[in-house]
Amino acid sequence: MHEMSLMAEVLRLVEEDAFERGFMKVDRISIIVGELSNVLPDALELAFCYFQKQECSLISEKTELAIIREEAKARCKECRKEFDPDYRIALCPHCQQLNTEIISGESFQIESYEGSECFEDKNGR
Amino acid sequence: MKIKMDDDVLKDNNIAANFNRTLFKQNQTLVINIMSAPGAGKTTLLEKTVKALAKEFKIAVIEGDLATERDADRLRALGVKTIQINTVGGCHLDAKMIAKTLPEFQLEEIDILFIENIGNLVCPSGYDLGQDYKAVILSVPEGNDKIPKYPLMFRRTDLTIINKTDLLPYVQFDLEEAQRDLRTINPDAAFLALSSQTAEGMEDWINWLKKAHTHAAFSQN
Repeated sequence: MHEMSLMAEVLRLVEEDAFERGFMKVDRISIIVGELSNVLPDALELAFCYFQKQECSLISEKTELAIIREEAKARCKECRKEFDPDYRIALCPHCQQLNTEIISGESFQIESYEGSECFEDKNGR
Repeated sequence: MKIKMDDDVLKDNNIAANFNRTLFKQNQTLVINIMSAPGAGKTTLLEKTVKALAKEFKIAVIEGDLATERDADRLRALGVKTIQINTVGGCHLDAKMIAKTLPEFQLEEIDILFIENIGNLVCPSGYDLGQDYKAVILSVPEGNDKIPKYPLMFRRTDLTIINKTDLLPYVQFDLEEAQRDLRTINPDAAFLALSSQTAEGMEDWINWLKKAHTHAAFSQN
């Protein structure tokens, strides 16, 4: 179970960016979790709830987490057809050749976040 | 205000992995990241490997465990420079942990560095450590269905080693089916079967390492 440390990394990257831009609050975070990423959305949500309750950062109980699921898709390099891979990722169900590539489902990305309440810039920049 | 990021969550790990990779290449050190479930025989295989290669190669090891220096002590007893990383509950090694240990090695003198990852077939597969090759060990008592059950681990490794083949007469393990399953998941992966205990098949592994070392030495930069 590494979702706790992965969620900590998500929040660290978002907060770093938000601090730089002068936001005081983060209202929403959208992340993309691929079906082949070995990351469990439920465990991420649980970890997120834990961090919300820490209240020592830009994240609060009002911050929303949106998880966008990215489907597993593969393409056969022989017949060029796309397919939904089962565990036999390299086996094309159309032509039975063992020469495929994964084209989606491996992502684990921060898509975007929403920040609000900017600092007043005292230097007027 | 919406801010678009499109950042890989593991981007800092990937930066650290590339830093490690550059150092390894500069020093012509072959690095193998060894993964498996707990108890598959990673440390025992390393002990036997060190004994077989000690005359020809300078070897070092990074040991990953949740707790204790036990595995590191086994390798130190053979005169191998070994650094133990204790993750205290963490289920995998990451590239930053590896980077932190590197100042303790004289990489220019090391031909082969083995990284023994935490015993776990899930999380370690997702973290690039900067290695040249990822190897996964599957031991015969675990059953050959581990391959289809953990496809991502076997998909993401360059070499699958079936270990404890001396136990084949006593347990259910279909070696041919294992190889067939592996091909449907990762047809490019190398496949070896051996027993650290009896040394059966060890030669293939040693030869694989020698070839990999030659390749790493010639492909620097």
